[in-house]
Amino acid sequence: MKKWGELALGIVTSIGGFLEVGSIATSAQGGAEFGYQLAWVLLLGTLSLAMLMEMTGRLAAVSKRTYADLLRERFGFRFFVVPLVAVFVVSLLVLMSEIGGVAIALQMASGIDFRWWAIPIALLGWFLLWRGNFSIVEQGTAMLGLVAISFAVGALVLHPTWPTLGRALLPSLPSHDHARYWYLAVAILGASISPYLYLFYSAGAVEDEWTIEHLSVNRVTAGAGNVFGGGLAIAALVTAALVLAPRGIRVEHYEQIALLLATPLGRTGFVLFIATLFVTCFGATLEIVLAMAYLLAQGFGWSWSENLKPGKDARFSTSYSVLILLAALPIALGADPLSLTNISMVLTAASLPVTVVPLLVLMNDGDILSSHVNGWPSNLALVVMGLLSLVLLVAALPLQLLGGG
Amino acid sequence: MSAPRRALLALVALFVSAGCGSPPPLDKRLETLGSWTATMQLAKERHGAGAITVTYATQLRDAADEAFQQASTTIGSSARTRTDSAYAATALDSLRNAIRQLEAEIGS
Repeated sequence: MKKWGELALGIVTSIGGFLEVGSIATSAQGGAEFGYQLAWVLLLGTLSLAMLMEMTGRLAAVSKRTYADLLRERFGFRFFVVPLVAVFVVSLLVLMSEIGGVAIALQMASGIDFRWWAIPIALLGWFLLWRGNFSIVEQGTAMLGLVAISFAVGALVLHPTWPTLGRALLPSLPSHDHARYWYLAVAILGASISPYLYLFYSAGAVEDEWTIEHLSVNRVTAGAGNVFGGGLAIAALVTAALVLAPRGIRVEHYEQIALLLATPLGRTGFVLFIATLFVTCFGATLEIVLAMAYLLAQGFGWSWSENLKPGKDARFSTSYSVLILLAALPIALGADPLSLTNISMVLTAASLPVTVVPLLVLMNDGDILSSHVNGWPSNLALVVMGLLSLVLLVAALPLQLLGGG
Repeated sequence: MSAPRRALLALVALFVSAGCGSPPPLDKRLETLGSWTATMQLAKERHGAGAITVTYATQLRDAADEAFQQASTTIGSSARTRTDSAYAATALDSLRNAIRQLEAEIGS
C-alpha cells in the first residue's frame, strides 16, 4: 500500500513538476509560429527526459549515491569541474528565468511591475528552503502544480484536429523560416531536458532513501509522470496553435501568453493561467536552487540534505541562500524574462553532452550497478541522446544568432 | 592560413554579421507590428467578454505601445522603396488604431 502511495505521489510530482517557465514559453512560441508542427520535439524531449530520469533514479536507488557524486568519484574531480561549471552556469540562467516567470505572474495579477517582485520571491523561496524539508519542496509545489492541467482542458475545449496533431508527432521540415524553426526546436529540447531535472531527481531518490525495492516505482514515476507532464506541454503548444497562430500573433512578451487560456476558458482560464505560471515557476525555482546546492555540495564533498537543520549542513544551506538572491538580482534590475528564458533554454540544450555522455559509462559499470546495468535498448537510447546532445552543442549558438530574434 | 583558423574566422564573421549587422528585414518588422495589432484586437474582444482584467489589458496595451514607439522610430531603416514605406505606414496605422480601440474598451 505504501508503495502505491509512493507511486501515485511520484507521478503527481512529475506531472506537476514538468511544466515551468521554459516549457510554457517555448511551447507557446512554437505553437504560435508553426502550429502543431513542433509537437514531435516535445515528444522527443519528454521521452529523453523520462529515460534520463529512470537511469539516474536507478543509479541512485542501487548505489545510494547521487549522479553528481558518482560522476566525481568515477571520473575524478578534474573532469567533474566541466559538468559542474556548465550545469551551474545554465542552471543559474534558468533559475533567473523561473524567478522572472513568478514575477510576471504577480505583475499580471497585481499590475505592479515585475521588477519589484523579484527580491520578495527570492526571500519567500529562501524561507521555505530554510524552514522546510525535502517533502515540502518536492510534493507541496508539485501538488499545487497540478493546476497546469488547465492547459489540457483549454486544448480540449478548442477541439484540436487529432489526425493533424498525430502526424505532427513525427519529425517534419518547416515550409518557412527554417532558422527560427530549428532555433525553437533547440529551445524546446533545452526546456524539456534540463540537467537540473535529473540531477534533482537523483538527489531526491537519495533524500527519500530509495533502495532496490524502489526500482519499479522509479520506472513508473519516470515513465508515466513525464509522459503526462509532456502531454501538458503539448497541450500548451496546441492551445497556442489554435488561439494565437490563426490570428498571426507571435509571442514577443510574456504578457501575451495569458491570452492562451483566457480565450477558451474565459475569466477562469485567465486566473488559472496566472496560477499555473506562479506555481510551476515557483516550484521550479525551489528545485533548481536545491539542485545547484546539491551539485556544489556533492562536488566538493560537503554535508548536504534538505532534511537536515541548516546548521548541520552550513555550506549547503549557505549555497542555496546566496544563489536564490543572486538569481533574483538581474530580474530586479529589469532583465527581460522572455529573452532570458529563450537564451537559457538554448544554452541548456548546448550543455547536455557533459551530463548525458558520462552517464553511458556509469550505467554500464557493474561495480556500481551489478545486475542493474543498462541493457542494449537503454544503451542504444543513451547513445542516440548523446549524439543528439552533441548536435545541440554545435547548433545552439549559431541558431541563437540566426533564429533567436 | 590553416583550415581550422579559416573556419574559425568564418564562424566569427557569421556571428558578427548575424548579431550586429543590418537591421531586421521589413517583412519581420511588419510581422511584429501585425502580431501586436492582432494581440490588441484579441485583448479587446476578451475584455469585452469579461475574460481579462483592466489591469492585465493595460499591461498589454503598454507593451504594444512600446513596440509601436520602437517601430515608428526604426522602421524607416528597413524600408528601402516607396512601396516599403507605404506598407510600413499602413502597419503602424493599424497598430495605432488597435491600441486606441483597446483603450476605448478598457476606458483608459
